[in-house]
Amino acid sequence: MKHSRTPLAAVLTLFTPLALSIPLDLAATAAQAQSCEVKVGAMGPMSGGAAQWGLAMAGAAELAAAEVNAEGGIAIGGKKCKVVIVPYDSKYTADGAAAGSNALASQGIKVIIGPVGSPEATGIKPVAARNEQLAWNAAYAKNALEPKFPLMFHIAPGPGTWSDAMVKHALQSFPAIKSVALVAPNDQGGTDIASVDAVAYRNNGVTATEEYYQRGTTNFAPIITRLLANNPDAVDTASSPPGDAGVIVKQLRLAGFKGPIGRMGGPGTEEILRVCGGIDVLRDFYWFETVAETEKVRDIDNLYRKLVGKEPPGGTALWGNLPAARLTMKAIANAGTAEDASKVAAELRKLAVDDPNMGKGVWSGQKQYGINQELFFAFGVGIIKDGKNLGVTRMEPGT
Amino acid sequence: MQQFLQAAVIGVSLGAQYALLALGFTLIFGILGVVNFAHGGFYMLGGYVAYSCVSLLGLPYPLAVIGAVAATAALGWVFELYFLERLIDDHLATLMLTLGLYLVISTGSLTVFGPLAMEFHFPVTGAFHFGSIYVPKENLVVLVICLTALAALWAVLFRTDLGRGLRALADDRAVAMAQGMRPKLLFPAAFALATGLAGLTGALVTPILALSPGVGDPVLATSFLTVILGGLGSLGGAALAAFIVGMVEAYTSVYFGGSIGALVLFVLVLLLLVFRPTGLLGREVRGA
Repeated sequence: MKHSRTPLAAVLTLFTPLALSIPLDLAATAAQAQSCEVKVGAMGPMSGGAAQWGLAMAGAAELAAAEVNAEGGIAIGGKKCKVVIVPYDSKYTADGAAAGSNALASQGIKVIIGPVGSPEATGIKPVAARNEQLAWNAAYAKNALEPKFPLMFHIAPGPGTWSDAMVKHALQSFPAIKSVALVAPNDQGGTDIASVDAVAYRNNGVTATEEYYQRGTTNFAPIITRLLANNPDAVDTASSPPGDAGVIVKQLRLAGFKGPIGRMGGPGTEEILRVCGGIDVLRDFYWFETVAETEKVRDIDNLYRKLVGKEPPGGTALWGNLPAARLTMKAIANAGTAEDASKVAAELRKLAVDDPNMGKGVWSGQKQYGINQELFFAFGVGIIKDGKNLGVTRMEPGT
Repeated sequence: MQQFLQAAVIGVSLGAQYALLALGFTLIFGILGVVNFAHGGFYMLGGYVAYSCVSLLGLPYPLAVIGAVAATAALGWVFELYFLERLIDDHLATLMLTLGLYLVISTGSLTVFGPLAMEFHFPVTGAFHFGSIYVPKENLVVLVICLTALAALWAVLFRTDLGRGLRALADDRAVAMAQGMRPKLLFPAAFALATGLAGLTGALVTPILALSPGVGDPVLATSFLTVILGGLGSLGGAALAAFIVGMVEAYTSVYFGGSIGALVLFVLVLLLLVFRPTGLLGREVRGA
């Protein structure tokens, strides 16, 4: 009896859980289909002086995800999956971005929208390569892209691409500029931009000197005293964070400087105006605008309010970052995975650069970096003269 | 020569601001034995309270400054009484508590006011020009208020019973308590005094420079550097060191550039710590 019950018990032992597990597994599969998620990272400085840029990066990722989710999600393996954005504050530092790459990798995230600054780009490149992650940086560093990091993409060209056209346009508006002093932070986020800007000035017959300050400086009065000792015709704030640039403008005017002030670096004119005390203080100003503003481009803010349900982070960085986030969503859908960064990158390279709001652009970067993985849309050159905003002139890629 | 004089003007202006910050920082260490990592947060909060009073409540700027001092002092009082007091002798715990408070203040400011700098300007603008030397009017006003506040602080500490009580607790807490001093009243008062000073500096300086959620970070670094140079816990040392830091920063930045200026300051502190570890006027052992 005992002998005969043993095989039965064994059969029951083997098959009962199996039988029970079938409907359980089926239920789990159904639940998985309903809760299918694709996680995408968003990285940038989300606190501190450059927070606007990082929040704009996360905002672009959130908006692109919201667009996809509004259509039912992204198609992966025959299922529609919800896109979830996982933000990471990389604090505008190399170690912050490297740690962010690892933190996102630990959650299985292989695609990252971001980071923003040059120190962050330097930090993330080798770590993301080791983690086999695709990332988009928006840095103006001389080595923002490198052929040895084929999974790294670039959101917008650096000054090497547009600074010459910028200087020429500025000199048309302010022909008296014969010398310029460039001021920027003394890290890669400052030196890589100011030194390239300086070459563009020199190539156009303008004497250029460079002055660097410790990031975190709050009072620029001593640096301004040093700058003005050389009597420059113009001062260019290059890639100084907008808050810093606003204080520099305010203190330059207090010191009696009456010449034009330039900004051949990151966006932030609105914030500069707010900090320095308004357009009458700024008076003569020329700046690089990452996005050539149109009605359609401005619509992005309304779209953000509608789909994300929050106020947009402000400034133009959200607009400039959005095409990269949108293309990434398409590439994930075409690749049918967000877990294989190489497949997503391969699909990304095939996509045409044509954004519903930003219009047509091109893939660039081959000439400057040796790898054609940079988005290039029309950019703008803004001019304020005698306290009047003359608007932003649209400059097409290749200008 | 003009550059030399201009650097002196800038150095005095910087020194007065650093003195207000450093005195608060060193006051808390000297009396409570707490390294207040939230000091930059109170500076930032002072700026935001003053901004809110002017922009949202429509108050005149002088009242906004008083409001900022009151708000930061009140928060300091409450924080000391309900959080720090329980762990006052655990240095690691108080360090973590103040660091946590700083993170709460900075993240809260970011959430409430957003990442961008506020449109907040000092009511007095312009500068007096003497040849190529200029003295911003707003800096003069701030300098006068700073020097008045420093004098008032000195009077409170050295001419009132409250000050005598605070100094007694700083010298030797056990003996002071045996003499009837009440730490539960005096410790929050000292903390409130110090955070009120940070709030005052924030309300005065942020409209001259900039007000955004990151402005507290460099303030903490400068305050720390200044009180180490002056001697942790020494009020006279902090005031002296603040003007030395201001002058060194001004002269090195003007003559050697912004990068070297910061480096010289750190090298100076490093050398001082090697040859005089107690700082300029610090004592070897803190009594409290």
